[in-house]
Amino acid sequence: MTDNTTGTHGAVLEDTAPDGDRPLVELRGAGKSYGNIRALHGVDLTVHPGKVTCVLGDNGAGKSTLIKIISGLHQHTEGEFLVDGEPVRFSTPREALDKGIATVYQDLAVVPLMPVWRNFFLGSEMTKGPWPLRRLDIDRMKKTADEELRNMGIVLDDLEQPIGTLSGGQRQCVAIARAVHFGARVLILDEPTAALGVKQSGVVLKYIATARDRGLGVIFITHNPHHAYMVGDHFGVLRLGTVELSADRSEVSLEELTNHMAGGSELAALKHELAQVRGVDTERLPEGDDLQAPVEAIPEGKS
Amino acid sequence: MSMTQQAEPAVNTPPAPGPKQTDGRTVRRPLALRLLARPEVGVFLGAVAVLVFFLFAAPPVRDGSSMANILYQSSTIGIMALPVALLMIGGEFDLSAGVAVVTSALTASMLSYQLTLNVWTGVIVALVVSLAVGAFNGWMLVRTGLPSFLVTLGTFLILQGVNLAVTKLVTGNVATDDISDMDGFDQAKAIFASTFEVAGVQVKITVVWWLVFAALATWVLLRTKYGNWIFAVGGNKESARAVGVPVTFTKISLFMVVGFGAWFVGMHNLFSFNTVQSGEGVGQELIYIAAAVIGGCLLTGGYGSAIGPVFGAFMFGMVQQGIVYAGWNPDWFKAFLGVMLLGAVLINLWVQRTATRR
Amino acid sequence: MDRSSHARSRRIAPFVAVAAAAALTLAGCSSGSGGKKSEEGGAEASAGKASTPRMKVALVTHQAPGDTFWDIVRKGAEAAAAKDNVDLVYSADPNAGNQANLVQNAIDQKVDGIAVTLAKPDALKGVIAKAEAAGIPVVGLNSGLSDWKDLGLLEFFGQDESVAGEAFGKKLNEVGAKSALCVVHEQGNVGLTQRCDGVKKTFEGRTQVVNVNGTDMPSVKSTVTAKLKQDSSIDYVVTLGAPFAPTAVQSVGDAGSKAKVATFDLNKELTKAIQDGSIEFAVDQQPYLQGYLAIDGLWLYKNNGNYSGGGEQPVLTGPAFVDKSNVEAVSGFAAKGTR
Repeated sequence: MTDNTTGTHGAVLEDTAPDGDRPLVELRGAGKSYGNIRALHGVDLTVHPGKVTCVLGDNGAGKSTLIKIISGLHQHTEGEFLVDGEPVRFSTPREALDKGIATVYQDLAVVPLMPVWRNFFLGSEMTKGPWPLRRLDIDRMKKTADEELRNMGIVLDDLEQPIGTLSGGQRQCVAIARAVHFGARVLILDEPTAALGVKQSGVVLKYIATARDRGLGVIFITHNPHHAYMVGDHFGVLRLGTVELSADRSEVSLEELTNHMAGGSELAALKHELAQVRGVDTERLPEGDDLQAPVEAIPEGKS
Repeated sequence: MSMTQQAEPAVNTPPAPGPKQTDGRTVRRPLALRLLARPEVGVFLGAVAVLVFFLFAAPPVRDGSSMANILYQSSTIGIMALPVALLMIGGEFDLSAGVAVVTSALTASMLSYQLTLNVWTGVIVALVVSLAVGAFNGWMLVRTGLPSFLVTLGTFLILQGVNLAVTKLVTGNVATDDISDMDGFDQAKAIFASTFEVAGVQVKITVVWWLVFAALATWVLLRTKYGNWIFAVGGNKESARAVGVPVTFTKISLFMVVGFGAWFVGMHNLFSFNTVQSGEGVGQELIYIAAAVIGGCLLTGGYGSAIGPVFGAFMFGMVQQGIVYAGWNPDWFKAFLGVMLLGAVLINLWVQRTATRR
Repeated sequence: MDRSSHARSRRIAPFVAVAAAAALTLAGCSSGSGGKKSEEGGAEASAGKASTPRMKVALVTHQAPGDTFWDIVRKGAEAAAAKDNVDLVYSADPNAGNQANLVQNAIDQKVDGIAVTLAKPDALKGVIAKAEAAGIPVVGLNSGLSDWKDLGLLEFFGQDESVAGEAFGKKLNEVGAKSALCVVHEQGNVGLTQRCDGVKKTFEGRTQVVNVNGTDMPSVKSTVTAKLKQDSSIDYVVTLGAPFAPTAVQSVGDAGSKAKVATFDLNKELTKAIQDGSIEFAVDQQPYLQGYLAIDGLWLYKNNGNYSGGGEQPVLTGPAFVDKSNVEAVSGFAAKGTR
C-alpha cells in the first residue's frame, strides 16, 4: 500500500505466457557446496510477482540452504542467481533487503525481549532531527506499526509488550506485516506454519494470501503439502538437494503433491517391508500410487 | 492460468480490519506494578534500602561531605559500569575493562613524560590506544566467532603483561614518573579530576561526568537507532542480522565505547594521582560487571538499562564506604560487602518477581 | 551457517597465527632487552667485575606483577650479578604452588645457587629439600624470617616485619601521635599484618586498621577519607606500601583532617614528598640490599665458603628510617629506582 507500487499485478497476468512476465528472482542450476559436501545442486526456481511459489521438502532436503542463498546469508557456489534478470551475489542480508527480498524466518523472525513496535522497525528505524540529535520518531513508529498490523488484521492492545509474549502465529504475522510495509517485492517465508496450531496456521496462510494479492512474489517454504496447496501457484519439491518436482498448480493435484512429499516410491517399498513383519497390518494402508491422506490426518509441525 | 490461480487457492484476503478493537489477551496491570517491572526500579529500591540502612547505622554518612565521598567512589565505578552495561545489553562481556583503564593512564603518562610533550598529546594518544584496544576486542570477536569471555580474557592477560613490560622497558621502574609539573596538566586536571563546591561540600567532577554519561547513555539506548541495535544484537543476533541491523558495526563500536570509558577513568586516575602503578586495575572488571548486573542488565544480553548500573555502582560505593563509616571490624569487611550486595540483589530480584507476576 | 563460520575461521587462522607470533616476538623482545640492559650494566661494571668462573643463580620471589618494591629487589640482585660474573635467572609468582614450581624449574636447570622468598614456607618445604639434596645452596630473603632455619637455608637477608612495625610504633611515640590508622592494601597478607601488629605493640596511642582495595586507587582514596571522617581523632595515617602514601595525603585533605602521613617502604615520589613535608617519614627495609646481598652471599659461598650469620642469625636489612633529616642523601638513589 504505502510503499508498494507494484499493486495487484498478479491479477492481470496473462494466461498463456507467464514467461513473458519477467521473474523477480530466478535461480538457474544453482547449488551450494560446503567443502566437499553438496547441500544443494542444480536448482531452478522462479518467483513472479503476485504468485506464491511453494518449496516443499523433508528435513535436510536443502530448503534452508536455498533460502539462505536467496536472502543473502550464504552465497551460491554453482549456477546463477538473478534478480530482475541481473545476476547477483549477495554478501549480506542487507543487500538482499535493498533489492526488496525480505525473509521471515521460522525461529529468527524477531528479538523476543524487544517491544512489538521496536521489532517492527528494527533495522529500518524512523528518525527525526538533525544528526547529533537525530532520534527515533517513536510516536510515528508506534502509529505506523499499529496501522500496518491492523491492515493485516492483527490487533494488539499494547505495542510496548515484548514480542516474545505474543503467540507464534502472531509473531510470524508481525514479521510478515513488517516485510510488506518495508516494500518487500519478494517475501521468503521459512516454515511459517511449522510450529503452529491449526487455527494459527490458518491466520498465517491468510497473510500469505494478502501479501500475494498486494503483488508480492512469495516463496513459501514448508513440508506440509496441504498448507502449500491452499495458497500456492507453483510447487517445487526438493529431495537430497535437488529438485524432484516442479509444477504449476494446474499440472499437479494435492494428491500427487502429497504423494511426492511423502516419498512416493520409497513409501511403497517401506510398505512392502512392513508387510514382511508379522503383526503389522498393511491391508488398510493406502496403495503406493494413490497414496493420499485426508487433510486432517497429516500432523501439524515438523515430524 | 492466472484465472485458475485466482479462483483456486482456498485462502483469500483476511477480513477487513474492523474498528479499533482489543485482542483481549492482556489485562491492564496497575501502573505501580508496571513501573516495578522496569529493569532499573528494583535496583533503585535496593540502593535506597542500603542508603537508609547506613543513614541509621553510620552517623557520619548523614554528613554532606561523606555523601560526596561515597558518590566519588561510586562515580569511578559507575563511569565504567555504563559502557560495560551497554556492552552487556549488546550480549558481550569485556574482562579487559579493568586493566584497559591502567593501559590508558600509562600511555598518556609515559608518552608525555618521556618525550616531554604537552600532556594533552598523551591524553589524545591514550584515547586512540583505548579505542584501538576496544576495536581489537570487537574485531577478534566478530571475525573468530569465539565467545567474548575468551577473547577479552586474552586481551586482559595481554594488557596486563604489556602494562608491566612496557612500563619497565620505558621508565626502568614499574610505576610512571610524576607528570604534575608538566604543561597542560592543570587544564587536564580541571576536566578529569577537579573538585568544586556545592553548598559547602567539596564534590568531585567525576560525579558530574558520571551523571552526564548516564543521561547520554539512556538517551542513546532508548531514543536512537543505535540503541535499538544494541538491544537487538544482544537479544537475538541472527534475527537482527536478518532484518538488516549492522551487527558487526554495533558489536565493535560497543567495545570501543568501553575503550572510551577506560580512557576517561584512566585519565581521572592519572590526573588525580599524578603517577600510575602498572599493576593496578586487575579485578576491577568484575566490579564493573557486577554493578551492571546488580543494575538489572541481563548477563545473557538483550535486556537492561543505563540508569540501573548507576544505582548498581552507587550501591557498591555506598556499601564499600558505609562499612568504614559505620566503624565495623575491618577484618569482616569483605564478608560484609558480600552479604550487603547479595541482600541488595535479592531485594532487586524479589521486586522483579512481584512486579512481573500476573 | 556454522560451515561458513568455519570457513571464516580458517581464513582468519593465519592472521591469528601471525598475531600470536608477533605477540611472542614482542614478549621475547621485552625479556631480550632486559638481558641487554643487564649486559650494559655488566659492561659498566666491568672494571670491577670479578674474575671468578661464570655461575648461574636463580632468584625466585612471590612478587605480584607491577610492584615497585620487587623491582628494586631485582635491581639489587642484577647489580650483584653483574659485579660477580653471575648469570641471574629471575622468576616470580605470587601463588605459592607456582613459586614452588619455579624453584623446581631452577633445580632442573642445574643452577649453582637459589635465592628464594619464603612468603608461604610450608608450600616451599618440599622443593627446598630437593634443592639441598641436589647440592644446590639456598638462601632466603625478604619473607620467612621465622622459618629459614627450619628449612635448612644457608643464610637470610631481610627485615623482621614485626621489628619494623615495633620501630615504627616507637617513632610514632616520639613524634607525639595519639591515634594511628593502619591502611592494609591487601587483606590477609602476613607481612602487612605483622607490620600493623608491630605498630600496635609499641605504639602507646590507639591503633585502628582499615582494609582497602589496593588495585584501585580511587577506591583507596575514598575509603581512607571515609575512615578519617568516621573517626576524626586519628592524627597519623600509616600506609603499608609506598604508592599508597601520596593517596592517603589526598584523603587527609578531602576529609578535612589534620592527620599526618607516614609509611612503610620508599620510592622516588616519596622522597620528594618527604622533602616538601607532606609525608613525615618512611621506614625503608632496603629491598635493593636484600636482592644484592642474596646474590652476593651465594657468590661468596661458592667462591670462598663464607656465609653470614653462621646459619643461626639473619642479616637484617631494615628498618632504616628516612625523614627530613636524611632524605637529601637518599633521594638521588631513589630517583634511579634503586632505593
